[in-house]
Amino acid sequence: MKKLLVVLVFLSFGSIYAGGYRVALQGQRMLGMGHAGLSVFSNTETAFFNPAGLSFLDKNFSISFGFSGIMSNVKYQNAQYNQTAETNSPMGTPFYLYMSYRTSDQVTMGLAVYTPFGNSVEWEEDWAGSSIVNSISMKVFYIQPSLAYKFSNNFSVGASLIIAYGSVDYNKNINRYLTDESGNKTDATVNSGTVGAAGYSFSMAYKPSDNFSMGLNYRSSVILDAKYGTAEFDDVPEFLSNRLKKAAISAKLPMPAELGVGLSFKPFDKMLVALDYNYTYWSIYEELKIEFKNGLPPSVSEKNFHNTSTFRIGTEYAINDKINVRAGYYYDQSPSTEGYFSPETPSLDSDNYTFGIGYQMKKLAIDLSFLYVDGKERTDYTYVRGEGPSAYRFGGTYVSNAIIPGIGLTYAFDK
Amino acid sequence: MKKILLLILIVLVGINFTACEPEFASPISDSDYTSGNADFSNYVAVGNSLTAGYTNGSLYKSAQSNSYPSIIAERMQLAGGGAFTQPYLDDDTKDVGGMLLAGNPILLPKYIINASTGGPEPINEVPTMDVTNIHPGPYNNMGVPGAKIFHLGAPGYGNLANLATGAANPYFVRMASSPNAAVIQDAASQSPSFFTLWIGNNDVLSFATSGGIGVNQTGNMDPTTYGPNDITDPTVFGAVYSQLLDALTASGAKGVVATIPDVSSIPFFTTIPYACIPLTDQPTVDALNGAYLQYNQGLQLALANSLITAAEASKRTITFALGANAIVHEDEYLTDLSGLGMPSIRQANADDLIPLTAKGIIGVPDPNNPQMIHGITIPLADQWVLVKDEIDMVRTAGTAFNAAITQLAATKDLPVADMAATMQQMSNGLSVEDGAIYTADYFNGLNMDNLVFGLDGVHPAPRGYAIIANSLIKIINKEYQSNLPLVVAATYPTFDVLTSN
Repeated sequence: MKKLLVVLVFLSFGSIYAGGYRVALQGQRMLGMGHAGLSVFSNTETAFFNPAGLSFLDKNFSISFGFSGIMSNVKYQNAQYNQTAETNSPMGTPFYLYMSYRTSDQVTMGLAVYTPFGNSVEWEEDWAGSSIVNSISMKVFYIQPSLAYKFSNNFSVGASLIIAYGSVDYNKNINRYLTDESGNKTDATVNSGTVGAAGYSFSMAYKPSDNFSMGLNYRSSVILDAKYGTAEFDDVPEFLSNRLKKAAISAKLPMPAELGVGLSFKPFDKMLVALDYNYTYWSIYEELKIEFKNGLPPSVSEKNFHNTSTFRIGTEYAINDKINVRAGYYYDQSPSTEGYFSPETPSLDSDNYTFGIGYQMKKLAIDLSFLYVDGKERTDYTYVRGEGPSAYRFGGTYVSNAIIPGIGLTYAFDK
Repeated sequence: MKKILLLILIVLVGINFTACEPEFASPISDSDYTSGNADFSNYVAVGNSLTAGYTNGSLYKSAQSNSYPSIIAERMQLAGGGAFTQPYLDDDTKDVGGMLLAGNPILLPKYIINASTGGPEPINEVPTMDVTNIHPGPYNNMGVPGAKIFHLGAPGYGNLANLATGAANPYFVRMASSPNAAVIQDAASQSPSFFTLWIGNNDVLSFATSGGIGVNQTGNMDPTTYGPNDITDPTVFGAVYSQLLDALTASGAKGVVATIPDVSSIPFFTTIPYACIPLTDQPTVDALNGAYLQYNQGLQLALANSLITAAEASKRTITFALGANAIVHEDEYLTDLSGLGMPSIRQANADDLIPLTAKGIIGVPDPNNPQMIHGITIPLADQWVLVKDEIDMVRTAGTAFNAAITQLAATKDLPVADMAATMQQMSNGLSVEDGAIYTADYFNGLNMDNLVFGLDGVHPAPRGYAIIANSLIKIINKEYQSNLPLVVAATYPTFDVLTSN
């Protein structure tokens, strides 16, 4: 297997409703270990988790590619009105592609292409909350070139540029009652178009011995400013056909900053344990405001997200010199604030269980991972504007889960 | 090789989890809902147009699907409710309502908003429903538009032959089980297990909406002598109501009865303010005051001769100023000064109500003499104003009816739905369970978002019927320990807006 495998790129996303619209699937090896990769500098995935760790990679050149399949389900119910609904979201396939190249003893370059954020929710058409959302699909990928500089045998820092691209498609009914002459509910589709923006990251890696290491990584926020979006309306009754027609819109989509610290150690020779803590600055997402350029009033939906913490623990055990097995757990907090819980980002606190297995050949490794997301049931509501002067309340009980298998390949050599 | 197989196996195990769905701690299922102490298996609703689903000035097919009894019946089906039949309307092929009699239009089709003129008007379609297209009941929905209380017990109210004399009702002709069956007989013959009864509105409302041109029949115990716009005698009301309850509870049925709303709680009377004449230039004000100078002086003369009281003189004096002015109208309850050559006219005040229909006459000039304008220099006729004396008659009767309803319901252990209060709130500003706010203020711009009354100003829109259904469901749940779910009123329609008519 000397040739590199053809890279297949899927740009669709499934939904993991734990941490907002963060899709934390950036490496099959690390995912097998609870996605606790901040202080694990053993494979190319560190190009994402902690670019400073590129300095500690074993081989001088490596390339890693992988993708996951997200199958998720969200359910809603409200006994006061006897309403039930569930999502039927398409399977998503987030991916990553990492490369590392050691140019000198001190300098290692890295390139990471990955999909840190995404959202794909598809409720039954005209369900109870259809005037908030029928379906939403958000796709974001980051291109992150990095430079790692090794100051000493056990300390390295990294700096990266982030180039982000993203787009959102969002469909909802205009309000709870408006229909066309045939009784079809009038709906709107907002399209942001593909938007680019930039960010940065810096990181530190400390590895005093083979048995212990620590890492820190900060990724800045990125705000996708969609200036040339469109809104289109469907099933419009004739008397509104002049008002509700295709319009230019603008909206800002914030991707929050994330700070992570981690440490890992080997309690005995074949076993690695890693602990990570992530702090995500979700409070940047205060509202979703879609401004129309045709005189229609802006559509404002308050989100009031708050910053969240994620606690991760993972382990990797070497059965022999070819096979590693992995297991992990992490607890993810929902950034949704009580009273602002909206079904287009139905984010629940979750328990997450991971498993993985890796098979290492001379230069090529194959890694499989499996994640089960157990979203905790939550009864909550949000206020919805758009019908008269007052806002009405929409709420109910939500529960969710997701099943995510993944596969990855790594090719590494010294030259 | 073995290891690769092991890897594949693990992947397959992982994929098997895809059948795994999240579960609620207490998932809702239809079997959660019960009827408590009530039996919903055969629900019969008795009433008038409000019960039939009449709205926007007509009873049409899609409106009937949103009548409050059919909304309640649909919820009842989760807790043992049976099928709920409603009078045949399938011949309303254009969904516009109205009515023909042997091909000739006798009732107008539904009101819509004509976006090009901005106002409500009957839709420009010929009705297809004919009185002669009879589909005999009985039906679960025994709501008959236009029925007064004594009509419910009148045999022949559904006989085509009586239509000419006004002793029959076109809607009931179409739905009566036989030409001489009475409404209440058809209702009771179904041996209902549960009923709602909401009747009495037309017994005062027809007098009110006609502007008080009918007769207050308080004291007249013979309904056969009543005219269509008369107020029913409260004792007659009470006696008939008692018979209705006896008939409905004969087979042990439980139910809910409802009171009737006050005239001030329907937008038909509250939309046009009594001071709706705006004057912006002083010369016009002076001219008008000059026009009524002689009349006002006549009042002072009458006062000086003790023909009228000082209070009446003050009430009858007609003055104009810059700003909003009250309309001028006839008032038959004023002291007759025709001997002095003076008409019984005055300006309206806060105690009077102007019916919605007066919109078509106020400010309209006389075609033969354009200087004379209705409501300003041509006093409005009696039918265009509901004066305080008339309002008092309506209120007195209405209060007596509601007292009878409440007292008789108590003798049968039936809960009373305070529709007087509910419709007052729907008119003033009602906040429903999910926080949405609704009012009747619909002539201030076309705002369908928070409206609940239909375009005739009297009947709720389907969304208003959903609110009424919810309030009845809540009373049923409280009284009978059932737990029927509510409906979301906001999802129901109001009225149609057409770009042209």
